[in-house]
Amino acid sequence: MNPVLTFIVVLIGLYGLATSKNIIKSVFCVTIIESGVILLFLNFANYEGGAIPIVSEDVAAIVDPLPHALMITTIVIGSAVTALALIICIKVFHHYGSTEWAQILRREDVK
Amino acid sequence: MSRKIILVAALGILFVMFFLSMEEMEDLFKNDAKLYFFEHGLDDTGSSNLITAILLDYRLFDSLFEAGILLVAVFGVIWISRHDFEERNAHFMLDKYKTPELFVTLSRFVFPLLLMLGFFIILNGHLTPGGGFQGGAVVATAILLLYYINLERKTDISLIVAVVKFAYLGIVLTASISLITRGEIFTNFMAVDAPTMSKYIYIIALDILIGINVALCLWAIFTAFLKEGR
Repeated sequence: MNPVLTFIVVLIGLYGLATSKNIIKSVFCVTIIESGVILLFLNFANYEGGAIPIVSEDVAAIVDPLPHALMITTIVIGSAVTALALIICIKVFHHYGSTEWAQILRREDVK
Repeated sequence: MSRKIILVAALGILFVMFFLSMEEMEDLFKNDAKLYFFEHGLDDTGSSNLITAILLDYRLFDSLFEAGILLVAVFGVIWISRHDFEERNAHFMLDKYKTPELFVTLSRFVFPLLLMLGFFIILNGHLTPGGGFQGGAVVATAILLLYYINLERKTDISLIVAVVKFAYLGIVLTASISLITRGEIFTNFMAVDAPTMSKYIYIIALDILIGINVALCLWAIFTAFLKEGR
């Protein structure tokens, strides 16, 4: 897959982050940006004829295992950030009765 | 409307900048650095899977804080969801009258298979794709199916967190044993000239501890979400 396509995924996430009206949709957009970054790094590591980085007798050339190991870190930290963001969304809904950005910002006690 | 035009224009500029710099980035991971891992990885760490070798030996300091961040996220979720009102199960998800009977029956069938797959992934982290983080996530998914089998299920979240703390302490201690046996911290505790076959004892031990850590952390997060309710 072309790296340009993975960057388009990142751009879709940025567009959604700027235009979404709901807090939960904003959290989803952060996740989309993250998936774009993961695809981009795995894309850079990949090349024609490179096998998966597991050493065995019938493997001649492997792809670089370093970006694969880095992306596990990204996935774990991304899941932690998403969990925290969603629990804050639930708290906001309990407190203000809505998860729309506009309705929360309209209230007097927020400003 | 004009705001959206400005936004699309800004995103277009970003795209052009990415496109221009792509030539240099494309060769970022295509140099000969991977040859070092390919030639020395198995002998250094005893793990055929080089990704596990990097995660648990070459860059173990990174992985320690990776597991630590998950622990901090659990503390954050529990601290934020602390509340005085009555605890309720999440009715929109786990309602006795809305959960289909087929789903419950299938969960009973899938649960042992998924648990076994998770343990397989954890224990074979040095041979096949997988490892502590991935297998822990699968085990956590299997445990979450228990909530569909028994909808009234209650879990003591403080007990899970206590076990997770000890699991994380176990990871740090296992990683620190090499200070005594090898003289350098955060690496394999077997001797440098030990046979390759015996070096993966360390990889399996650390994989099991990380698997316990990840599975229990995800379980605690899910339980906190359920208690938050509607």
